[in-house]
Amino acid sequence: MTHASYFNGDTPNPVPVYVTPSDDGAQIILSRPNADDVIWPASDIRTVSDLPSGIDAVLRLTSDPVARLYVQDAGTLPRLPHLNRRAPPKGRGRLAMWAAGAVAAVALQIGILIPLMADQLANFIPPRAERALGEATFEQIRGALGSDTLGPLRVCEKPEGRAALNEMAATFAPSIPDNGEISVFVLNHPMINAFALPGGYVVFFRGLIDAAETPEEVAAVFAHELGHVVSRDPTRHALRSAGSIGVLGLLFGDFAGGAVVLFLTERLIDANYTQAAEEAADTFAHTVLEDAEISPAALGDMFERLRKKHGDSDGTLSHFLSHPTLSDRIDKARDAAPEDGDWSPILTEQQWADLQGICG
Amino acid sequence: MQGGWPPAASQETTSSPDGALTVGFVGRRGAVFWLALTTGFWSILTLGFYRFWMKTRLRRYFWGSIRPGGHPMEYVGDPWEKLLGFFIAVVILTFYIGVVNLLLMFASFTLFDGNVAGYFLSFLGVIPLWFYARYRARRYVLGRTRWRGVRFGLEPGAWGYAWRACVHWLVTICTLGILWPRMTFYLEKYRTDRTFFGSSKLTQGGRWTMLYRAALPLIGAIVAWVLWVVWITFIDPIGEIWAAFLDELLIELLGYEAFLSKGTAKPKNVWRLWLLIPLAITLYTGVVHYMFGARRIMANHKSAPGIAVRSNLRTGRIAWIYAGGTFFAYLVLTLGIILLSLIVLPIFGFEVLAQITGTDADLTFDAPRWVAITASVIVYFGIFLLWSVVYNTFVTFPLMRHMATTTVLPEHHGLQSVSQAARDEFAEAEGFAEALDLGAAI
Repeated sequence: MTHASYFNGDTPNPVPVYVTPSDDGAQIILSRPNADDVIWPASDIRTVSDLPSGIDAVLRLTSDPVARLYVQDAGTLPRLPHLNRRAPPKGRGRLAMWAAGAVAAVALQIGILIPLMADQLANFIPPRAERALGEATFEQIRGALGSDTLGPLRVCEKPEGRAALNEMAATFAPSIPDNGEISVFVLNHPMINAFALPGGYVVFFRGLIDAAETPEEVAAVFAHELGHVVSRDPTRHALRSAGSIGVLGLLFGDFAGGAVVLFLTERLIDANYTQAAEEAADTFAHTVLEDAEISPAALGDMFERLRKKHGDSDGTLSHFLSHPTLSDRIDKARDAAPEDGDWSPILTEQQWADLQGICG
Repeated sequence: MQGGWPPAASQETTSSPDGALTVGFVGRRGAVFWLALTTGFWSILTLGFYRFWMKTRLRRYFWGSIRPGGHPMEYVGDPWEKLLGFFIAVVILTFYIGVVNLLLMFASFTLFDGNVAGYFLSFLGVIPLWFYARYRARRYVLGRTRWRGVRFGLEPGAWGYAWRACVHWLVTICTLGILWPRMTFYLEKYRTDRTFFGSSKLTQGGRWTMLYRAALPLIGAIVAWVLWVVWITFIDPIGEIWAAFLDELLIELLGYEAFLSKGTAKPKNVWRLWLLIPLAITLYTGVVHYMFGARRIMANHKSAPGIAVRSNLRTGRIAWIYAGGTFFAYLVLTLGIILLSLIVLPIFGFEVLAQITGTDADLTFDAPRWVAITASVIVYFGIFLLWSVVYNTFVTFPLMRHMATTTVLPEHHGLQSVSQAARDEFAEAEGFAEALDLGAAI
């Protein structure tokens, strides 16, 4: 026989009871003083879990959400078959509905609403604001790729190299509509990549300049990024990520928020523009290169050689290499170069050497 | 079988000789540690989704440890409903954070040429939501707390709480904190007057001015700070060190170069800088004494029909729990991180570690990127897990124990007439608090 306190689920007053099993063991009988016995079906009895371990226990019924039995010494209880079994789940349908809703809401925003708004807003953003956005994004990327001890990623500023880079930029200046400002930088990082940012920022990683064999190849990538600048792809992209960072940070909660922001900053560099945007930038590059008396085939050469050298699957490679229609783009670049083209070098031997040494 | 009927009535009530109902605490620190460690481990394996179970199980343990009158409190919150609440909050908040932030950012860049204004406005917009979420979270936790089978609860009123909290904060800031006790009192009164146990409603008595008593050490600490600063800046200038420090601070804060250090004499009576240590301790204990002293005073003025509450909590003890517990938690965390890196290092090698700790620009990327990412994710989550484990063990646990064992119900005959309250069906649980990252507090 077991002593216990019975709580009927209505008043917080403990009723002292004796607990005894019924003859067939299918029920337990709680005998109260001056009141009817309470009968609990043994198979419906569960313990309240995660209580501090001790000899006591709190029992409940699956059929009654509030009644409780507090047993001082659980060792004296009669056999209860399902004491530690889980209660049947409830409301899972609603949960699934909201889970689906949450996924749909996030997908709708990241996939449709935010891009749509960003595209519209990008048309209205004034040039000054666009430059400010680009500058902020640039600093964000430098910070994310830099190290804790050495600070943000270094901008390569060796004067001779800088002069060569300016020379290259000046070649393309006439192709920029509305006298838009172009700022070009080289970051001291081994990644083979280049990207454009809002407000006419074109940024090369040192790795790309190291990987190029001729200045024309660098110029070709430059022209391609200018294509993005002219069509304002980076502005749309930066506005999108300004919205999306918050959404994703929310999803991952307190744990992984920081990691997600890092990941997204990486995405800013590996900007996956649409295929149409890439093609438009290529087409722009072909025209600009031809105007500057450089063979558009240089773009194809750059792509091709990098692919041969690193293969398609190398994760450290830049976005243009992972593009599915790369071969197509190489062919197009080659086709864009007229057979009888009259090409002239964009930089002198000395200038090219200076550019290669811009990071010192 | 011994004794007659009714069986052993004395075991039912753990009350002091004067008939007051005391609160016991039976949890053990080691058990909390293991529970937090195992559930935290699962949280990592499930990319954070098990955290709803982790929180639920820890709460069940803590609640079950608290024994007013010898009977355990019970936490009946369901992890699935927390998950559901989180999803609901995500659906609603993504709109705010995605669309509204995008517009704010656009406006900020267009009008102010920078993102600072956007971040500021975005932050400002979250503040009322934050109070809203706090109230809702409290309502959820109380609504899922029972004692002797009877439910606690908090009436709806989160928006009322949110705007009151905003106004009180504004008033407090405008009065340089002089009316802080007023805010403490009225916000607590708002919550208390809506709290119930079964059919019995709690009432907050007293006046807001009574909380100034709890603020005395804090006021003393602030006065001491002001005197000290005046002393070493004007009365008997300490000289170069101090001026150079102030210069730095001004440049850092305002971009303003004052060059106070020009023409000042050599540093003198430098020992006065050592006073910073006792001053800091005084300020810290002052703050803790105010926060918990106010809580004690207000607890002593809480009542329900036939029920009175008395808190004997000691603020010095709580200051020690926070300071000592946090220190100890850091110590254990550091040891844990060293241990973790000893495990991770042989698996992934030093190069990966160098990549995790910050990209060395001249490093060649030999290791596959996914290895680096996996390793950094493990380390990142591991640190969060360890922190949560040690904090629960060394801060939350002793705090709970102290708060529980120092609470007494000197008068409790009103319990006889309490009856059950209806269940608070609460779809979004503490989803907003979780999503807004205020879930850390139990």
